[in-house]
Amino acid sequence: MLQVRDLVAAYGPIVALHGVSLDVPAGSIVAVLGANGAGKSSTLRAISGLLRPKSGSIKFEGQRIDHLSAEQIVSLGMSHIPEGRQLFSELTVLENLRLGAYSRFAQADGGGHLAHRQGLSLLGRLQHDLIQAATGGIRDLARTIRGYRQRKQDFEAGLKQVFDYFPILAQRKNQIAGTLSGGEQQMLAIGRGLMASPRLLLLDEPSMGLAPLVTREIFEIVQTINRAQGVTILVVEQNANLALEIAHYGYVLETGYIALAGTSENLRKSEAVRRSYLGQ
Amino acid sequence: MSEFWQQVVGGLATGSVYGLLALAVVLIYRSTTVLNMAQGEMATLTTFAAWSILQWGDYWIMFPLVLIIAAGMGAFIERVIIRPVEGAPVLNIIIVTLGLFAIFNNVSSWRWGGIPKGFPTPPEIHVMGIKFFGGGALDIGPTVVSYHDLTILVFAVGIMVALYLFFQYTPLGLAMRATAQNPVASRLMGIRVGRMLTVGWALSATVGAVAGLLIAPLILLQPPMMMGVLLYAFAAAVLGGLDSPVGAVVGGLIIGITENLVGTYTPKEWLGPDMKLTVTLLIIVVVLLVRPTGLFGRRTMRRV
Repeated sequence: MLQVRDLVAAYGPIVALHGVSLDVPAGSIVAVLGANGAGKSSTLRAISGLLRPKSGSIKFEGQRIDHLSAEQIVSLGMSHIPEGRQLFSELTVLENLRLGAYSRFAQADGGGHLAHRQGLSLLGRLQHDLIQAATGGIRDLARTIRGYRQRKQDFEAGLKQVFDYFPILAQRKNQIAGTLSGGEQQMLAIGRGLMASPRLLLLDEPSMGLAPLVTREIFEIVQTINRAQGVTILVVEQNANLALEIAHYGYVLETGYIALAGTSENLRKSEAVRRSYLGQ
Repeated sequence: MSEFWQQVVGGLATGSVYGLLALAVVLIYRSTTVLNMAQGEMATLTTFAAWSILQWGDYWIMFPLVLIIAAGMGAFIERVIIRPVEGAPVLNIIIVTLGLFAIFNNVSSWRWGGIPKGFPTPPEIHVMGIKFFGGGALDIGPTVVSYHDLTILVFAVGIMVALYLFFQYTPLGLAMRATAQNPVASRLMGIRVGRMLTVGWALSATVGAVAGLLIAPLILLQPPMMMGVLLYAFAAAVLGGLDSPVGAVVGGLIIGITENLVGTYTPKEWLGPDMKLTVTLLIIVVVLLVRPTGLFGRRTMRRV
């Protein structure tokens, strides 16, 4: 489903990824382990389009996506639930979930017109942008009016599913997101990601700042999402124990390199992983 | 008593105009934290455009036309002038808007000249026997109110309600609120943040244009027309809380009324009309000492 090859990415002069390669087979859960600053989050950011790769390739369902922007990638069927949850903390729970479904309503157009734009002169680009802005607005409006009922049904179905996974969110749907507890916020972040009805979910440190019991609950739901809905999951986690428990495959990142890779069982048995990440 | 109510209604009317321009300022500020110094001059420019259109056209043809021109101008400024400096420190961008202020001011003087021009109030319309807009005055019991003051109030309330509905109940409005709060997360939702900023500028310029059209009949159309109004608008926005559209409007109304009452009721030897701006700003300083984020501002705590 996802193939990453020789991915190099940097923040200005600081190189975060020195050629990362990994595979995520359809229907699996893949864990990326590693210490702070190993490049786990940067890997996810590069895949979802938040961090533009310097070189290397990223293929999602056979299509190159490394030149696309984050807002285009999400409409291809990939949701990134970022580190620190990044909720819209002043909006309500329901509004956050609505925004999660945004990409299904106003689908960003593919890379086609962007490639066309590259070939234009400065003035041509300006004209192109203005026409895009105007026609894009009209297109969005037309789409909003067309098939309104269909999208409303899709939205209600998605919402029901999220509320099935996280009943507490249904109780708090009119509450301001910033006032939720840490665990509830993580649930909302996952629920918001699911509203885009993704086939691949990128999950960054779901356990961050949460009590062990809450973390366990969330990991169980993640496993359910994978099993019941067949959503493929790429999860980044510092808690290696827990991650390897639910994952099928794992990668260990060390300062921007893949140091180890294998099935979860093999990684759990590996001496290096036990010593460095499992605390055994 | 009649004079008191007259001052209050008059204050509400001018306060609405301050509030509208403050609203325009806030619409840009809360999505970009840029204080648009050119907000007033943009409105002056569109009002001059309106004046030119009125030379051959009817008021109600001019009105939608000017709104479209304003929206286009706002979108164009964001795309062409603000977008390239987007990543720069906020102060740099504010200086750019200061540059726009000078350019627009000069363009107004150059194209339309510095001689003050009269600007018409909206012509009257009769709906079910009730007269809307136009000149004259209306007896509303405790006092007599000019029709133009009422017109301003009707427009201001209409725009505020429309904007509220837009932000609260449409997907685009929700996306714009999301962008203002968390641009990175918005991108992950599939929201094109750049386009939201363009729409924000277009909306802001449109609201500002209405403020210009409404105030011009009261203070004559000339290039520096909006300078004083912008000062009040900034004060209103700060008083209400720079990130709160409701605050901007309430701030505008408070300032409009205070200004009128201070001008009328304090003795000339002591304060009087000449000091009304000072007193108004003094009140703002006091409010900000008590509530540094303004009356409706929320950004008091920020998660790291």
